[in-house]
Amino acid sequence: MIEKIKKIRFTPRLILRMVIAVALLVYLTWRVVQVTSSEAVFGADTWLRFLISGLVIGGMYALIAIGYTLVYGILFMINFAHGEVMMLGTFAGYFVLEAFSAIPGPGTEGVNFLNAQPIIALILAFIVGAGVAALFGFLLERIAYRPLRGAPRLIPLISAIGASIFLQNAAQLLFGPQRRQYSNPDLLWRGTGWMIPVGDKSVMLTYTGVFSFVLSILLMIGLFILVKKTKLGKSMRAVAENKQAAALMGIDVDSVISKTFLISGALAGAAGVMWGIHNGLFNHYVGFIPGIKAFTAAVLGGIGNIPGAMLGGMVLGLMESLGPALLGLDFQIKDVIAFTILILVLIFRPSGLLGEALTEEKI
Amino acid sequence: MKFKHILVILLIAAFALAGCTQQTEEPMETEEPEETEEVVETEESEGTLPQVCLDDAFGCAEIPAGETIKIGMGAPLLGDYSMFGTDISQAVALALAQDDGFEGFTYELVAEDTGGTPEAGAAVANLLVTDPTVVAIAGHIFSGSTDAAIPIYDTAGLPMMSPSATNPDLTQKGSAVFNRLAFTDADQGRSAANLLFNELGFTKIGVMHDGGTYGQGLADVVQAEFENLGGEVVAYEGITPGEADYVAPLSAVAAGEPEAVYFGGYAADAIVMMNQWAQAGLEGVLFFGCDGTFGVEFTDKTGANGEGAIAASLVPPDSAEKTAFDEAYAAEYPTEAGELSAFTWSSFDTGNVLIAAIESVAFVEGDTLFVPRGALVEAVRNSDFTGLTGLIKCDEIGECNASGPAFYQVVDGVWVPLDLGS
Amino acid sequence: MNESLKRSLRLGLIFGIVVIFFMLIGFTNVAANMIGDMLGNIEQTSVNPELPVLNLVLFTGLMGLFTGVSATKKDGQDSWVQVLISGLIAGLSASIIIVGFILIVGSLHTQGVDFRTYLPNLGGNEIQYLMFYTTPLAAAVRFILIMVASSILGSLIVKSFSSGSTVNRALKSLQQKTTKKLDVQTLKSALGNKFILMGALVAVAVLMYFLPFVWGSYWNYIMGTVAIYILLGLGLNIIVGYSGQLVLGYVAFFAIGAYTFALLTAPEPHAIEMNLWLAMLIAVLVSTLAGFLIGLPILNLRGDYLAIVTLGFGEIVRILIRSDLLTSITNGPKGVTNVGQPFLRGQLFNDTNYMHLLMLLVLAGLFVAKRLKDSRTGRAWISIREDQTVAQATGVNTFRYKILALMLGAAFAGLSGAIFASRNQFTGPEDFTLMVSVNVLCVVIVGGMGSLPGVVLGAFVLKGLPELLRELSDYRLLVFGALLVVMMIVRPNGLWPVSRPKFRKKPLEATPDEPVEVEA
Repeated sequence: MIEKIKKIRFTPRLILRMVIAVALLVYLTWRVVQVTSSEAVFGADTWLRFLISGLVIGGMYALIAIGYTLVYGILFMINFAHGEVMMLGTFAGYFVLEAFSAIPGPGTEGVNFLNAQPIIALILAFIVGAGVAALFGFLLERIAYRPLRGAPRLIPLISAIGASIFLQNAAQLLFGPQRRQYSNPDLLWRGTGWMIPVGDKSVMLTYTGVFSFVLSILLMIGLFILVKKTKLGKSMRAVAENKQAAALMGIDVDSVISKTFLISGALAGAAGVMWGIHNGLFNHYVGFIPGIKAFTAAVLGGIGNIPGAMLGGMVLGLMESLGPALLGLDFQIKDVIAFTILILVLIFRPSGLLGEALTEEKI
Repeated sequence: MKFKHILVILLIAAFALAGCTQQTEEPMETEEPEETEEVVETEESEGTLPQVCLDDAFGCAEIPAGETIKIGMGAPLLGDYSMFGTDISQAVALALAQDDGFEGFTYELVAEDTGGTPEAGAAVANLLVTDPTVVAIAGHIFSGSTDAAIPIYDTAGLPMMSPSATNPDLTQKGSAVFNRLAFTDADQGRSAANLLFNELGFTKIGVMHDGGTYGQGLADVVQAEFENLGGEVVAYEGITPGEADYVAPLSAVAAGEPEAVYFGGYAADAIVMMNQWAQAGLEGVLFFGCDGTFGVEFTDKTGANGEGAIAASLVPPDSAEKTAFDEAYAAEYPTEAGELSAFTWSSFDTGNVLIAAIESVAFVEGDTLFVPRGALVEAVRNSDFTGLTGLIKCDEIGECNASGPAFYQVVDGVWVPLDLGS
Repeated sequence: MNESLKRSLRLGLIFGIVVIFFMLIGFTNVAANMIGDMLGNIEQTSVNPELPVLNLVLFTGLMGLFTGVSATKKDGQDSWVQVLISGLIAGLSASIIIVGFILIVGSLHTQGVDFRTYLPNLGGNEIQYLMFYTTPLAAAVRFILIMVASSILGSLIVKSFSSGSTVNRALKSLQQKTTKKLDVQTLKSALGNKFILMGALVAVAVLMYFLPFVWGSYWNYIMGTVAIYILLGLGLNIIVGYSGQLVLGYVAFFAIGAYTFALLTAPEPHAIEMNLWLAMLIAVLVSTLAGFLIGLPILNLRGDYLAIVTLGFGEIVRILIRSDLLTSITNGPKGVTNVGQPFLRGQLFNDTNYMHLLMLLVLAGLFVAKRLKDSRTGRAWISIREDQTVAQATGVNTFRYKILALMLGAAFAGLSGAIFASRNQFTGPEDFTLMVSVNVLCVVIVGGMGSLPGVVLGAFVLKGLPELLRELSDYRLLVFGALLVVMMIVRPNGLWPVSRPKFRKKPLEATPDEPVEVEA
């Protein structure tokens, strides 16, 4: 240990960084202690609410972030249109649920299908939502990215931006700019949930919140298994590491890339349907901000790194929810806090929380 | 020739073509942009102008034969707040369409989207002042967007009549062109605080706003007045409009244990808040909104969650004209008057007030219609008109409002006048 | 034969889907209106007049034409019969899709289903128009006929214009004759003659002076916006084009410049109201300082990390400006009104004066950018962009040059921000969203990274062109997005790419595209 410390070259930059890091840590801990100790501001029940809110949204960010990271790992490109893929999933799920709420349910009188068979309806909504999003992810790759495979990085980025703008506006023109509301089955109605007693108050743990969180975790575990254990996952990792070598080994690189986009799209679509079920209101713009947040989360965790994306998503969600309260600042600047933390992390750990220190050559 | 050269030539041709053919946008255009040596450096047409126009500080708007007299508007036509823009622009358009015109010239509404933001309000104002056939502005609609636009219209000499910009400061800036039909937020805020403290008997409330000129302006009035009356404002929080999750700021307000929460802002955000009310720990706490949270959108999208919420609206007195208008509106448009927003009737009156003012100063000479701008500004300020909402007469600073706010409550999913007997 | 059949089939299906897409977004109605304006056959009886059926026929015919054109091979290898068949197949497959859609929608409509809650462009009037005001079945037949006929026509046209045919040969000889006359080379050598060059410059200067008076306030406004984006593009070009750093938060500097200027010259909230030109200078300096401060911590970051961090900075600046926290300084979401405007001979600047000022600044900016590019600094930047490690190895102080690029770029943004705020008489936080950064980035890349004429061209195309298409304003962004994708695929180097110095040797025979080089 002492040897390691002796080996560090104490350049002025390093010393400056260390001083800043220590100063920040001290300030933050002092601030947190100050805020949590003065109970007059927020009771334990409020903190619990913040925590729940942060976890739920963190799960959704994590799902979308994984999509970003998957694509980046393979193609080294930022899929700017990923948020729009999520939006398409939200719309698809909406239409499915609307259709089900219009059809009468089997057997029971006066109850629509949605409430008669909510589980089937929800499963179908997710399948269709994820499916549509996956399809569009696939089309996106074929139309906008494949022809640019090998061009300098900025070119596919602009193409992605163009695709994002196109999809957003196509959705607006097709479906109208007004916000729509998801019709949840009564079983999973927004704003209902278990009441947890905390002291003399009670905190609501919404059904939709729990549903989203559990589903996010399950999907993430599923993806992890896919990448680590299956043959497709192995091919994906191989292509991510070195395209030419993978091709030499007999892997169909194009097919693997297409499948990656399918999976990443499916995850985004599922996140989109989840967003609709939990948050209710959406329009064609719904994917833009979560897309950026998810991208931030992916970078925070180390882009190209799947557990990193999951961690980044959760951290981001929690920071947004708990951050302003912990630091005693306005809720309006929660995004500032999130971005500041991102910048600080990247300054002190340039490859993200869990990322490997890739050399610049890999760009 | 290389591609890039061809492209440049094509572009120049396209711009030249557009500049020449868009005669409807700028009838002042005298020559094509390609001619350089001989250039007429004036913007008025050749020939002498009527003396009235030369004397007028802002000159005249000249509308050639075949053109329409245009009334501009900056309204949120797209986006979350489009219900206001749609409703108000439809009502004004109906007023313009029902009018027979003046000496053969008909009226046309040029409504540009602002999304409700001040930035777009300024951009729309800058755009509308470049069109010489726009003579007056019915708007803008949102207070923030109006605030940004007033200096621009002041410089250009375009009179404004807004049916819905309610922030009190707007008439305090010494503008000669701005007038409004709407009740001010000072009135609305005071009435709301009074209602909360005296009639409903609350002593501890929370106050929230969306950071905009309108929302925060209202919230501040309510807070000041409520504390004046002797009540306690236990929490004051701002939200960022357009988000999907307000549990955090709502929980912060809940921590103060208010008996009611006042919100200054618009329905789009109020809906999200209402749907997360219980989650945030505000179950059973009254939601008291404003004229921005009124409308069918709110009741539709909150369903059972919105039960019991209060908001403000306009009540025009019943009359034969009001019934006729309601029928005409319902025949022309898919929604009913007063459904999307509280301002349908005052917008109809706005259109008619502006028409009356224009017709009082405009005159035709030859083939062209001349509207002296300075005179029009004064004419609008001196309006004396009886419309659907009552007598519209402006004072020196531009307050022309006829009726004050009335409060409504959601009962069984419908807005009904607030009954204090409960 | 099979290949071309499959191709026609596939293209036909794609076009069928495109036509349905157009119907769903209401574009058929807009197009019919535009055709009506051209032909003058629309009677304005009410707010929503009935549209003539002819317009729909023409529009569908146009779509069919495109289908046929794209389905046929351009090289003329196929025989007339084959071409006919591919046109037929394409038309048929397209019409099958369209017919399916029309039949479903039409029959549901006649049964009284209202689509408007989900698809607002399929109101009763629109659907009836799409069915040519007849029954769904009759409409289906019409569609098949029109699509197939026009598709065949399209493929026939392609065949007659393809290489080897008489029409093609005639066109080529015409092209050769005209290229000989409009030789760019002769133009260039003519410009080399000093007197002609001076004359041309004077003519251009006179033109630019008088143009703002002539083309009216509306165009001054539009061209002013284009000029501001040219300035922004020049600045970002230095950062992204010359030194290769991907910065997605350029709007932060724009905002800082604009707000500095606005807060120094507006009567509220601070009532400083200092001299405008001084305020402009200070805005530029503050922006440059911001470039320096923001650049310091992030210079070590790799491409994509840099991108997201700068994006973060852009958002941080915007959110902080609008927040309650800094409202006492920035006036929050309400923005700053009555931003100062300069005086000229006792009168406030009008739009013509602004236009002249902007023209001067654009020219100055172009000059500065060009000199920078040709300087030692410019070469250092290019070396950093190409390969940072090698640049460092050859002794280039990458840190210093990268920060310099950021600072200069920020200076450009600060200047244009100040003018932007002044011209609008107002500025607010929502003027500085992420989309502005994206737009400037597109201006630089679509124009041609690192190329100065490219930046000018990019600004015109991306900001000026949408104004020309105001009728299609609803579809502006849709076209913009599609255009970006298409541009990157078709012309990734930009509209006016950087012309790298080429080593030319004397060719044996002159090809029509490149003129003969007499001197290397």
